[in-house]
Amino acid sequence: MTAKGDNVVIRSLTQIGACGLFLLTILAAVPRSLRHGRETVRQIWFVGAMSLTIVMTCGLFVGMVLGLQLYDVLSIFGGTSATGTVVAIAIYRELGPVVTALLFAGRAGTSVTAEIGLMRATDQLDAMEMMAVDPIAYVAVPRFLAGVVALPLLGVVFCAMGVFGGHLVGVTWLGIDNGTFWSNMTATVDVHKDIVNGVLLKSFAFGIVVSLIAVFQGYTTPPTSEGVAYATTRTVVASSIAILALDFVLTSFLI
Amino acid sequence: MTDDAIVRIRGLTTVLNGKTIFDNLDLDIPRGRITAIMGPSGTGKTTLLKHITGQMRGDAGSVEVDGENVPALSRERLFGLRERIGYLFQNSALLTDFDVFENVAFPLRQHTRLPEELIRNIVLNKLQAVGLRGAARLMPTELSGGMARRVALARAIVFDPALILYDEPFVGLDPIALNQVLLLIRTLNQTLGITSVLVAHELAAVQKVAERVYLIANGKVVAQGAPDSLADDGSPWTAQFFGGEADGPVPFQYPAGDYATALGFPGGKA
Amino acid sequence: MTQRRSYAVGTGLFIVLGFSALAYLATQTTSVANATQGASYMVETHFANVGQLKTRAPVKIAGVRVGSVQSIELVPGKEEAKVTLSIDDRHKDIPDDSVATIFTSGLLGDQYVGIQFGRSKTPVKEGGEIGLTRPAQQLEEMLGKFFGGGSAPDRLGGTFHVTAEFTNVGALQPGAAVKMAGVPIGSVDSVVIKPGSSEATVTLGIDKRYSQIPDDSSAAVFTSGLIGSQYVAIQPGGSPEYLAEGDSFVLTQSALQLEDLIGKFLVNGSPSDNKSGGAQGSTQPDNAGKK
Repeated sequence: MTAKGDNVVIRSLTQIGACGLFLLTILAAVPRSLRHGRETVRQIWFVGAMSLTIVMTCGLFVGMVLGLQLYDVLSIFGGTSATGTVVAIAIYRELGPVVTALLFAGRAGTSVTAEIGLMRATDQLDAMEMMAVDPIAYVAVPRFLAGVVALPLLGVVFCAMGVFGGHLVGVTWLGIDNGTFWSNMTATVDVHKDIVNGVLLKSFAFGIVVSLIAVFQGYTTPPTSEGVAYATTRTVVASSIAILALDFVLTSFLI
Repeated sequence: MTDDAIVRIRGLTTVLNGKTIFDNLDLDIPRGRITAIMGPSGTGKTTLLKHITGQMRGDAGSVEVDGENVPALSRERLFGLRERIGYLFQNSALLTDFDVFENVAFPLRQHTRLPEELIRNIVLNKLQAVGLRGAARLMPTELSGGMARRVALARAIVFDPALILYDEPFVGLDPIALNQVLLLIRTLNQTLGITSVLVAHELAAVQKVAERVYLIANGKVVAQGAPDSLADDGSPWTAQFFGGEADGPVPFQYPAGDYATALGFPGGKA
Repeated sequence: MTQRRSYAVGTGLFIVLGFSALAYLATQTTSVANATQGASYMVETHFANVGQLKTRAPVKIAGVRVGSVQSIELVPGKEEAKVTLSIDDRHKDIPDDSVATIFTSGLLGDQYVGIQFGRSKTPVKEGGEIGLTRPAQQLEEMLGKFFGGGSAPDRLGGTFHVTAEFTNVGALQPGAAVKMAGVPIGSVDSVVIKPGSSEATVTLGIDKRYSQIPDDSSAAVFTSGLIGSQYVAIQPGGSPEYLAEGDSFVLTQSALQLEDLIGKFLVNGSPSDNKSGGAQGSTQPDNAGKK
């Protein structure tokens, strides 16, 4: 695809361009893959439901540590009653979607890349071609759609666990008044700005990017074990960069 | 004999990355027979199969399968054609997500809306034919290489195709498994009349089943005929290939520059 | 097939879990929890100034939320804002002579509309109006009242210009007030560095009504209160001659830095005083160390 002598910039641009074209291929194949709806459901199970444990655990700890840190800092200003508010806003707007997407890239993205890469390496994709089954519609699109559907749901679950964790530390351990904690939160957090534009929209965008990168890397990997290993690494690296860069862009548009 | 050819290749020329794979190649696969395509490694035997299935297209020439010109087919027509072609991959290419039963049932589920009862009957029938009905609920990772290839064969024949392409079906099999596969190829050909194309380089195995052999080298058919007569037709290609000589028309040395120059001796031809 | 069905069930559970988490976040942790439920009716009010009031801000009676701000629009042709309040149907008994006021929750919080009941027996109707309103209090004005800052007067009578030179003007900005006896009489036109020296030349524009300033008056840079803005104060002298256009003050007193003021209270003086830093270094205790 690219010559070895090309420098990093040209190689990256080539990858980005190829990735963009691949997105068009996938989108064009979405109608054809409707008959593989069952496969999409199965993939939502694999990339979504199987990531629940890690997402819920991490959400809980992130919420707890935020509660602890904010309580410590806010107590300087005598503002510990705002702990719940700041925990909720920080999680909804940034940590929820971003950390969930990073976890998702590490947990589900890599497995999708490795799976497709190995299917390529063991001729399974060619075998599908030969059985007159379009591997884009049967393999790539369901995994892509599953990621796009699963990530917002995971993000929301992460946020719920985070708020719960913040409540656990703030109210149960550090003794902030329960009513204060909730009423300050409900008074300040806005459905549209913090949940729709924060968690849902960002997670949706990250879902598209992470799934696309994972499927693309798997699909274009050289069919060797070394190729699969590199592709998996590239999925994590490219996803992480893309998530954080896109987060900045989205935030600057939404704020 | 060539009057009823299921595959008719005329003037096929393919250049990949500057390397000529096929150079004006002509080849006929007779209907209802077992044909073997042999040749040294790297001569593009598998590539030839990919031309027949339409996964690759040549730069010139025609590939006609069952009366249809493959390179000119639309995606839908090509997929329609592929449903009539079975393909056995070298490494079996079973879908690792599914067990043996679902692997064989996969083409049926994808292309038909048959009732579950009927799918079950067809699949068990095919598995029985390859002797693996008892392994229906095993996963592909639990199978030996020979078993996996038989499962792949059951999957390839699930639509009762007119043509089966076997890509290196004998590689890596112990003598028992090899003979089982040979037996299956012959049985399928004789009982169902399926045209079979074998890509292989095991001469002994090919001689047991094939009725016709093409020897391909340097992008051309260098010899053809019945397997018994082919080995001593006097051509240097067949003599080297079937005699197993290390050097000959297929050189031992990969093409390279002057050795002395490469080593840095001043006397080399500069 | 049983394998596939279990995936479908698991996936369904996962999706249900996701959506219930979303419902939980949306209803339990956000302002939707405070949103009016059920039917409501609209009441119109007019404010001279709505400050930072925003649509969907709460409407409260006795501190209890009874509705929200539906819309805020400028009345065409008037310096007046029309604010429509959406009030819950359960609170139908608001007297029509009640007073609507824009309050701020705490010192820095969001603004809301508070309704204080009047004595009338007739309640305000759907589409009716609460006629009595009190506009938003601007924090700047409130602070200004405490600290006596005030703004520069209008220059209806024209101005004349005098200059004053200060070694330090502090945070004095053009536009700051010039006061005599605490009464604004003009404003600072420009603050520039005098070429070739380290002094700042401040040009004062003073209203012509106050032209009788003795020419031996002194000018000082003062700060209104602890955190207020700085202004120039003129202390009149006893000379019979008055300052005229283009004259300059002979006596000036530079701005006092807050740090210096605080430093005077402390025994050891200002630690930032570099001139005597070397001498003080030995006598000054290490505060950080003791703490």
